[in-house]
Amino acid sequence: MLSLQNVRFAYPGSETVYDFSLQVTAGEISCISGRSGSGKSTLLDLIAGFQPPVSGAIHWHQKDFTHLPPDKRPVTTVFQRNNLFEHRNAIDNVVVGINPKVPKQGHDVERAKAALTTVGLQDYFDTQVTLLSGGQQQRVAIARAVLRDAGVILLDEPFSALDQTTRAEMLSLIRTLTTKSARAVIMVTHDLRDCEAIADSHYVIEQGTLHGQSIN
Amino acid sequence: MLSKNLFRFSGSLLPGLLIAGGFLLLASVLLYQLAAQPDTLSLSLGPRFLKILFWSTVQAGCSTLLSVLLGIVLAWALSHRRRFRGRRLYVAFLSSALVLPTLVVVLGIVTILGRSGWINDTLRWLGHSGFEPFIFGFSGIVIAHVYFNGSYVARTLLSRLESIPAEQHKLTRSIGLNAWQRFKMIELPSIASTLPSVSITIFLLCFTSFSIVLILGGSPKFNTLEVSIFEAIKLDFNLGRALGLALAQLAICAVLIMLGSRFSKGNQLISVPSGKQAAWHDSKMLVAIQNLILFIFAVLFMLPILAIITDGMAADFISLFTNKNFLTALLTSLIIAALSTVLVILASTLLASAFTTLATQQRLGSSRLSQPLLKLLGFSSTLYLAVPSLVLGLGFFLLARRIGGEQNLWAVAALLTSNALMVLPFAVAALAPAMVKSANRYDKLAFSLGLTKWSRWRLIESHLVRPELAYIASLAFCMSLGDLGVIALFGNQDFITLPWLLYQKMGSYRTDEAAGIALVMLAITLAVFLLLPGLFGNTKHKSHWRQHA
Repeated sequence: MLSLQNVRFAYPGSETVYDFSLQVTAGEISCISGRSGSGKSTLLDLIAGFQPPVSGAIHWHQKDFTHLPPDKRPVTTVFQRNNLFEHRNAIDNVVVGINPKVPKQGHDVERAKAALTTVGLQDYFDTQVTLLSGGQQQRVAIARAVLRDAGVILLDEPFSALDQTTRAEMLSLIRTLTTKSARAVIMVTHDLRDCEAIADSHYVIEQGTLHGQSIN
Repeated sequence: MLSKNLFRFSGSLLPGLLIAGGFLLLASVLLYQLAAQPDTLSLSLGPRFLKILFWSTVQAGCSTLLSVLLGIVLAWALSHRRRFRGRRLYVAFLSSALVLPTLVVVLGIVTILGRSGWINDTLRWLGHSGFEPFIFGFSGIVIAHVYFNGSYVARTLLSRLESIPAEQHKLTRSIGLNAWQRFKMIELPSIASTLPSVSITIFLLCFTSFSIVLILGGSPKFNTLEVSIFEAIKLDFNLGRALGLALAQLAICAVLIMLGSRFSKGNQLISVPSGKQAAWHDSKMLVAIQNLILFIFAVLFMLPILAIITDGMAADFISLFTNKNFLTALLTSLIIAALSTVLVILASTLLASAFTTLATQQRLGSSRLSQPLLKLLGFSSTLYLAVPSLVLGLGFFLLARRIGGEQNLWAVAALLTSNALMVLPFAVAALAPAMVKSANRYDKLAFSLGLTKWSRWRLIESHLVRPELAYIASLAFCMSLGDLGVIALFGNQDFITLPWLLYQKMGSYRTDEAAGIALVMLAITLAVFLLLPGLFGNTKHKSHWRQHA
């Protein structure tokens, strides 16, 4: 289970103090919504380690990772854009998630191929990612997230630029992967239909804190 | 449909195309003057010519390689150190390398590294015998070229590195890439598309270098074609040889530009950097290395400027400012610089406006004519790289001889044209992206409200691109003030500018007067370049200025 206990944070010079408490069980998807500037991305940055909290603690399966650097955390993030290294092909973009030396063959490459196959991109291993559609590019990013074997997957409005059909496919893919691999997924979105489609719980950020409810 | 659209956007398109066509026509007329001379055929591709070509190529190659390497290292260090006291000033000084008068910096470098320079004086004071001067000759030329062009590369690449999206920073941190892997995966690709065009531009600038080679060359062995043209006219009075060399240089530059255009993917002008940036999280060791790089470069960059300030302060300014020659040169330089600035502002605005009309989809971007016309605009705005100032000046010289008339008027025309062409590549590159951005943002609104021409310019562009115009004005003024190119051909007792006067004083070893003139030129340049854009006042302009400075 992912657990945030009174994780407090404030930007320098800002009067707003965020105070987040949240629990997401493995295999569950939690949706976060709120007005622009309410702190949705700040919450993800705190969990991913891009911002240091002032106080509080973040645990995954009772292990505290509040002060670990981003790459040592059991967390992986899929952003809305700029997820991929544009000059590389799909395999390179996935394999870099587990081996920064980006090997061209070997066990890691086979694992990357398997991950790409999982998200339905078995025909695009060697395709440069700029030649892929928006939905396919997000699939590559998801394949890397899946391969990284991190318990927590953070999705920062990853499908907002996609059309309705592709979006529905991606949501279904996320649902399947979450259940199958027992990850805790936190998805930031502006679209409540996304929440209704796949989320187990829905939180709204208001005045720096999370107000939540269970859906299913 | 096309003709209807052409008519609709003719106001923003035709003046720019006319300017571009005008420049090309002028260049053609001047080149015809060269080619039509009977003496031209006297050029022989003998050992002397091949030697010039060989050393020019080696010198330009070494200068380019070192400038690019220094520029990459410096831009990398600076992009990682996003916050430190004086960073804005540091970046502004980096940008100012483009406008610092060449002769002034060369004088500063000689003051540091010359036989009786600061370093030798210090070594002698410490009991060492000092080193043999290496500043005159190949090494001196390369050092001076790297001084100017390394800073230019760093400034250009810094913009690219700073436009790496914040998500990519987060991604590399979350994956755990080390510094080298990050450089390889996101930093190098972000600058890779810029490197070939920047390298070729620098190679051309060094290949056709004039002032630096003229002063620091030491012997004819290291002459560039440009200096050889000057010597053929001024020293040997051999017009045929000068013409032959000018045509040879033109041919080589044209081939290099064509080769260069094969490397550039798409049009670099329309890439607008993203505003959102994220901080790097480097190890303490890496931060120390970056700080060391920034410190060493700051010292090396500032030393020649400090040398000019120190030596200049010792000059007799009362005598200088009561000297008729100096006052005439000062006034002439200021007037020429001001007129060049007006010309550059006008030409670059019209060219950028035409560029915007042809490059944006909502206007003529999708028409069949847009690509060939964009190429015409691009070539016209970078004409200076193919036709450097001495070749241009020679063309005017021949035209003056053929048509006749007041020699000094021809000199002014040659200077203004040369200055305008020299600044245009940088001016259009600064203005066009801003105008494209403004068009993409406001075209629909402007079309729906029926805003056209002057009313649109007053309400939208004049406000949005004012910082870029201020930058271009300062660039044009400073570059025109400090250039020793055409004036080296036309300069005489009645027509002198500050660079020409400084060159004469340096040549006659009147170092005190030279130091005083250099300090005056440096003060005007830095004051205009660093302060003029700030006079626009409001925060929006300052934030835009930060992108350039």
